[in-house]
Amino acid sequence: MEIKALANVALVKVEGRIDHISTPVFESELLPQVEGCTGEEKKLLLDCSGLAYMSSAGLRVLMIAAKRCRQQNGKMVLAALQPTIQEIFRISRFDTVFEVFPSVRAALEAISPAAAAAYERH
Amino acid sequence: MNATSKAMPAAESASLIVPAKIDALLQCTEFVAARAVEAGFTPSRLCEIELVVEEVVTNICRHGYDDQPGQVELRCRRVDAQRLLLEFIDCGRPFDILAQPPPDLTVDLDQREPGGLGVPLIRAMVDEASYKREGNRNILRLIVRAER
Repeated sequence: MEIKALANVALVKVEGRIDHISTPVFESELLPQVEGCTGEEKKLLLDCSGLAYMSSAGLRVLMIAAKRCRQQNGKMVLAALQPTIQEIFRISRFDTVFEVFPSVRAALEAISPAAAAAYERH
Repeated sequence: MNATSKAMPAAESASLIVPAKIDALLQCTEFVAARAVEAGFTPSRLCEIELVVEEVVTNICRHGYDDQPGQVELRCRRVDAQRLLLEFIDCGRPFDILAQPPPDLTVDLDQREPGGLGVPLIRAMVDEASYKREGNRNILRLIVRAER
């Protein structure tokens, strides 16, 4: 899992297939990123542009991460879902509990102008 | 891996028998995906069918067999030009995945339970579903269309 720090945002690239076999690795890589994700100091942005497949196992991990963030007043948002994943989110009603943006740039502009500026410079 | 597979002409059925283990998921999804490609399923629909197969087989392993050793048989048959019949057969304890209560998806994040999304996903993505217990076997029949 590729993670890039942009100002106060950890940009996490979620890629490939996240199924019942690969989810333990996804969980062990994502949940540590939730640590310290409190208030303005660190926000989490999941870039899902390379995510082709996610089953209920991966959805469960996203839900755990989102709940932990909420409990510690942190912010976790998602960006650039492919149509198949959008449909899975719609069925699971994840679109009502997660903030989802059409692109990484749009997400950064909404959650952190400093990180958006850093992203433009890259 | 300990598995047997038998492919037959498109109009007939094909079957696959695998150990009831999460490790066998890929074989199951690939087996059904190959039949779905033959039947002209679109790439996005293929992805949905793979998801259905994964969720069903995982539930059989976890709940039908309680993660104990067992076997899962998959049968796949063309119903007509547009539809595939998928049958999942196992000898685990009586377990009707279709009868599992779905989680409440309407509540706020604080009240949402992580997990339990497999059944709502299956229900949304298949066109017909039925379950029966026959002797010591659970038989789940799903019909899926090439397009949704």
